[in-house]
Amino acid sequence: MSPPLLSATGVAKRYGAVRALVDGAIEVHAGEVVALLGANGSGKSTLGRVITGITKPDAGTLAIEGVVTHVSSPTRARRLGVAAVYQELSLVPDLTVAENVFLGNEPTRLGGVDHRHLTRVTAELLALFEGVFTVPVTPLTVVQRLPPSERQLVEIVKALSRKPRVLILDEATASLGGRQVDRLFQLVGTWRDRGMGLVFISHRMDEIFRVADRAVVLRDGATVGQLQLRGTVERRAAEQKLVELMTGGGEVGALFLDEARPQTPAAAEHGAAGQALSLRGFASGPLAPLDLDVAPGELVGLGGLQGQGQERLLLALFGALPHRGSMSLGGEQVDLRNPRQALRAGVAYVPGDRNREGLLPVRPILENLLLPSWRRYGTPLRMRAARHDAAGVATELNVRYSGLDANVATLSGGNAQKIVIGKWLLRRPRLLLLNDPTKGIDVEAKEEFYSLLAQLQADGTTVLFTSSDDAELLGLCQRVLVLQDGKVTAELSGATLDRNHLVAASLGAR
Amino acid sequence: MLAEARPARGERFRNLTFLVPLLILGVAVLLNYLLQPNLFQPRVLNGNFRVMLPLMVLAAGQAIVIISGGIDLSVGAVVSLVNVLLVTFVKADSGWSAVLLGLAIGVAAGAAAGALNGLCVAYLRLQPIVTTYATSFLFSGIALAILPRPGGALPRALTTFYRSAPLGVPAAALGIVVLIVTWWALRRTRFAQHLYGVGGDAAAARASGVAVAWTRFSSYVVMGVFAAFSAAMLTLSTGSGNARLGDAMTLSSIVAVVLGGTRLAGGAGGITGAVIGVAILTIIRNLITFANVPTWYQTLIDATIILAALAAPGALRRIRGRA
Amino acid sequence: MREWLTRVPPPVVALALSVVLFFVAGAVQPGFFNLDQAVNIVRLAAFLGIIAAGQTLVIIAGGEGIDLSVANVVTLGAILTFMVSGGASERLLLGVVVALAVGAVIGLVNGLGIVGLSIPPLVMTLGMAGVVKGTILAVTQGNIPGGVPPLLARVVTGRLFGVPGILFIWLLFALAMWFVLERTTYGKRLFAVGVNRRTAHLSGVNVPATVVLTYTLSGLLAALGGVLLLGFTQRVFLSLGDSYLFPSIAAVVVGGTVLAGGRGSYYGTMAGALVLTMAESLLRAMRMGEAYQLIVFGLILVALLAVYGRQRETA
Repeated sequence: MSPPLLSATGVAKRYGAVRALVDGAIEVHAGEVVALLGANGSGKSTLGRVITGITKPDAGTLAIEGVVTHVSSPTRARRLGVAAVYQELSLVPDLTVAENVFLGNEPTRLGGVDHRHLTRVTAELLALFEGVFTVPVTPLTVVQRLPPSERQLVEIVKALSRKPRVLILDEATASLGGRQVDRLFQLVGTWRDRGMGLVFISHRMDEIFRVADRAVVLRDGATVGQLQLRGTVERRAAEQKLVELMTGGGEVGALFLDEARPQTPAAAEHGAAGQALSLRGFASGPLAPLDLDVAPGELVGLGGLQGQGQERLLLALFGALPHRGSMSLGGEQVDLRNPRQALRAGVAYVPGDRNREGLLPVRPILENLLLPSWRRYGTPLRMRAARHDAAGVATELNVRYSGLDANVATLSGGNAQKIVIGKWLLRRPRLLLLNDPTKGIDVEAKEEFYSLLAQLQADGTTVLFTSSDDAELLGLCQRVLVLQDGKVTAELSGATLDRNHLVAASLGAR
Repeated sequence: MLAEARPARGERFRNLTFLVPLLILGVAVLLNYLLQPNLFQPRVLNGNFRVMLPLMVLAAGQAIVIISGGIDLSVGAVVSLVNVLLVTFVKADSGWSAVLLGLAIGVAAGAAAGALNGLCVAYLRLQPIVTTYATSFLFSGIALAILPRPGGALPRALTTFYRSAPLGVPAAALGIVVLIVTWWALRRTRFAQHLYGVGGDAAAARASGVAVAWTRFSSYVVMGVFAAFSAAMLTLSTGSGNARLGDAMTLSSIVAVVLGGTRLAGGAGGITGAVIGVAILTIIRNLITFANVPTWYQTLIDATIILAALAAPGALRRIRGRA
Repeated sequence: MREWLTRVPPPVVALALSVVLFFVAGAVQPGFFNLDQAVNIVRLAAFLGIIAAGQTLVIIAGGEGIDLSVANVVTLGAILTFMVSGGASERLLLGVVVALAVGAVIGLVNGLGIVGLSIPPLVMTLGMAGVVKGTILAVTQGNIPGGVPPLLARVVTGRLFGVPGILFIWLLFALAMWFVLERTTYGKRLFAVGVNRRTAHLSGVNVPATVVLTYTLSGLLAALGGVLLLGFTQRVFLSLGDSYLFPSIAAVVVGGTVLAGGRGSYYGTMAGALVLTMAESLLRAMRMGEAYQLIVFGLILVALLAVYGRQRETA
C-alpha cells in the first residue's frame, strides 16, 4: 500500500503554561476524507496549524508521502502540496477576487504579473460554485463588497488555486449557506475521487457524517482513537462512540445528543401590557418588519443558519444599528438610537466576538468589568466601592482570576466570557441580548453559563439569544424564532421545538 | 456557464482614486490661467514644471511607502543628504564620468538611508512616524557635517540642460513623463501587488505567503532611491548644495499624496495621484501669488485652502452618506 | 537582557537613563556636575513635559492619534498672552483665559475634523498647524505689541526654597493629569477608546465625544504651555514653539505610552521629557558641532525606540 499523503505523529506544542498538544497524530491517504474531531481545547486546531506550517511544533514528525519533512512555513507547506482553508480569512478587502486568489502566488510574464492568466484561472475556479453565490462574484469583484459567505468561498477557491494534494478545511463551513455547503461537499466528493486527501475539522456531527470516510478524535491534546464512518456503520452507535472518545467516556455532555437537558424556568404569563419586550413593525436594513412579544423572564432563542439576520436584530435592539418601527420595554415606548441610551433603558448586549467587541485586551479586569458603569462612582471615582462591586460580580460568576488588576488577557476563554457578561450583570439589565455567548468555550464553562441563565430568568431578566449550537437553542429556550434571509420563517415552541423542525425551518423547508 | 469576467459598473474605476483630485487640478489650473494669462507660454510652463518635478518624484516615493502602510518623515533630510553629496563629488569643471559617479553615489546613499528606515520599521518593528522622524535627525546631521555651509556648483552644461527643451519639450516635463511611465511599469510587478496586499491587510498578506517584512523594507529602499533622484533634479535646478534644502519637502510630500487621493492607512492609491497632488499644491501657490494676496495673509490662505482640500474627501463622503 | 528591560516600566528606565546621562555629562564636562545644573535640566524638561501633556492624551486615545498643531498653538498662546495682557500683571488672568480659550477652540476644530469628517489625525492637525501659523502671521504682521506681565515671569522663574516656580507648577500639573487619567470617568473612557473603539461603543461610551474632548484638551494644554514658556523666555517670536513639536511626541513614546493607544501615563511622559532634555544638554555640553548633535540625537532616539517602541501586533 502506498504511503499516506500526509502523516503526523507525536506532535506536541505548548504555549507558555498551556499544553495545547501532547501527542497529536493523523494520517491522510489519497482519495479519503478524514474528519478531525475534538471538544474545545482538544488541540485539533493546533494540529491543523502544525500541518500547514503556521505553527512550529515543539516535537513530532511530519511526513509527506513517506518522506520526513519540515514544514516551516505556510509557503513551504503549499509548495509541498498542503493547503488549508480557515475561518479567519486571508483576504485583502481592497483587492479583487482574482488578485486575492493569487496573492503571494502571482503568475508572471515578461517580468510583470500576468493579469489575463490570473483572471482566467480565477473565473474557472469560481465556476465550480456557479449557482450558489448569493451575490454576483466575478474575478474582478472587489472583496470588500462580498458578504462573509462569499468571502469564505473565495478563500476556498484560493486554496484550490495552489493545486493541493492535501486540503484541510478547518471549520470552513461556518459562514456558508446551506446550498453552498451542499455544493462544497459535492466538490469534496469529486476531489476525493480524483485522489486528493482531505482533512475536515468540524464540530458539526451532521456534516462529518455526510462527508467523511473516517474520523480521528483528539482529546486533551492527544489522538485517542479513530472510527470508520463509511460502510456498514450504524449512525447512532457511531455518534455515541465518537462522543465517548471526545469526552473520555465519562459523563456525556449535552453537546451532540439530540435531546438536550431542558432548562425550563417557572412558566411566564403572557398578559398584554406586562410584556418585557414588545416590537411592532421593527425592521433594520435587510431585516423584514417584525412583530414580537416577550414576557418577563422568558428566554427566547433566535435560530436559523448563520448570517440570516440574528446578529442584526440583536444589534438593532441595542441601538447599535439604525432601525425603524416601534419598540417598548415593560410597557413604555423607547427609541434607542445608540448603546448609551440602551444602557440607560436597561438593555445589555453581549457580543459574539469576545476579543474584538467585548473586551479591552490590555486593560485590567477591573476596568473591563466597570466600563459601562463608571459614572455611578462620581468624581473623583470612589475606587474602593468600584473594586468591591467588581469583586462581587466576579465571585458571583465564579471567575477564576488572580486579581482585579490582572490583565484580562491572562484569562482563559470561558473566564473571559464571564467578564464580558459580568460587565453587564453589574447593571442588572432587564433585557439581556446574547450573541452566540458560548462560542469557543469549554464544556465546564458552558454548564456554568446555563445555570447562570436559569438564575437570571428566575430573577425576571428577559433574555434573547442566538447560538450556532442548535442543541443549545433547543435545550434552553421555550421559544425559538427561526430566521432565514432576514425574515422569521417559523416560531417553534412546545411540540414543534425539536431538531427536525428547527433544521427544516432553517432551510426554509416545510 | 462560466462566471462572468466582466467587471461590474463602477469596479473598473476602483483604482482610479485620482479622478477627483484631477478634477480639482483642472479647476485650479483654470483659475490660475484667469489670473495669469501667460500660464501656457513655454517659458512660464517650463518654469512650473521645473519647480514641480523634484517634489513630484519625492511624493511618488512617499506614495509607495504609504501604500504599503507606512510613512516616511525623513525624506526631506535624505534629499538634503544626497544634494550635498552630489555637490561634493561633482564640481563645476567635472566631466561626465565624475557626474555619473556622483549620481551613483547619491543613489546609493538614498538607498542606504531607505534601508536603514526599512530595517527599523520592517524588521525591528518600530513605529514609522517616530522612527523616521528620528532618522531624519541622523541624515540632517550627516548632511550638515559634509557641507557645513551652502556652496558648491555644478557644470553649466547640466544646469542649462535642465532649463532647456530637447525635442521641443521642456526637460522637466520629460522628467514627469518618465516618472509616470516608471510607475506604470512598476505597477505591473509582483512587488506592487504585494505592496497593496501588505498595506490593505498585512495579516492576510502574510497568511497568503507574502514576505511582509521584505515588502515593507523594499518600499523604504525604493523611497530612498526616489528621494535621491528628487535631490538630483533639485540640484540641477538650484545648481548648488545646501544641507537644509529638503527640510520643507517632507510635509509637502505627505500633503501631496493625501491631496492626490491616496489613503494614509495604505492599501490603495498610486503615484498618479501624488503627481496630481503636487501639481495642485504648486498651482495653489501660484494662485496666491497672482491674486495679489498681501504677503502677511499668504500663509493663512495657503494653509486654509490645503486644509479644505484635505477635508474634502471626508466631507463628500459625509454628504453622500446622508443623501 | 532585553526582556528584563521591557518588563521594567518604561518611565523608570527613562528616569534611570536620565541619571546615567547626567553622570556622563559630568564626566565629560566637569563643572556641569552640580545641583544647579540638575535643577536647570529639570526646569527645561518641565516646559516640554507640560506641552507634551496634551499629546499624551491624544496618543492614549488611539486611532493613530497625534497632534501636530501643538507647536504653533504654543506660540499662539504665548503671543495672545503677550498681546492681551500688554505687560500688565492685572491683565494676566485675562490674557491667560484668552489664550486657553483660543487653544481649546483650535483643539475643538481638530477634534471635529477628525471625528466628523474622518480626516486622519496626522493630516488634520498638520493642516491646522498651517492655519494657526498663517493666523499668527496675518494677525501680527511681524509686529507684536505687548509685554510680559511681571507676575507671570515671577511665578515661572522665581524661586521658592531655591526651587524654580515652574517645578512646583509642573508638580501640580502632574497631579492634575494623574487625577484626570485615573480618577475620572473621562479618563477611564479615554483608555477604553484607545484600546478598542468598537468595544467602548458597545459598552455605552460616547466615542466621538471622548475623542473631540481629548483634542480640545490638547489644544488647551498646548496654549497653557505657551503661556508658561512666555514667562520663561520673556519674549515672543514666531518660532517660539517649533522646537517642541516632535520632542513632545518622542517624550510620550519614550515614556511608555504606546502609539497604538490604550496604555500609558503622564509620569511616563515626564520621564521621557527628562531624558530627552538631558540628552540634548549632554550634547551641548560636549560642545559638539550642530551636525554631530543632530546625529547623536537621532541615534539615541532610535536606540530608545528599539527598546521601547516595538509594535505589539503580530502582523
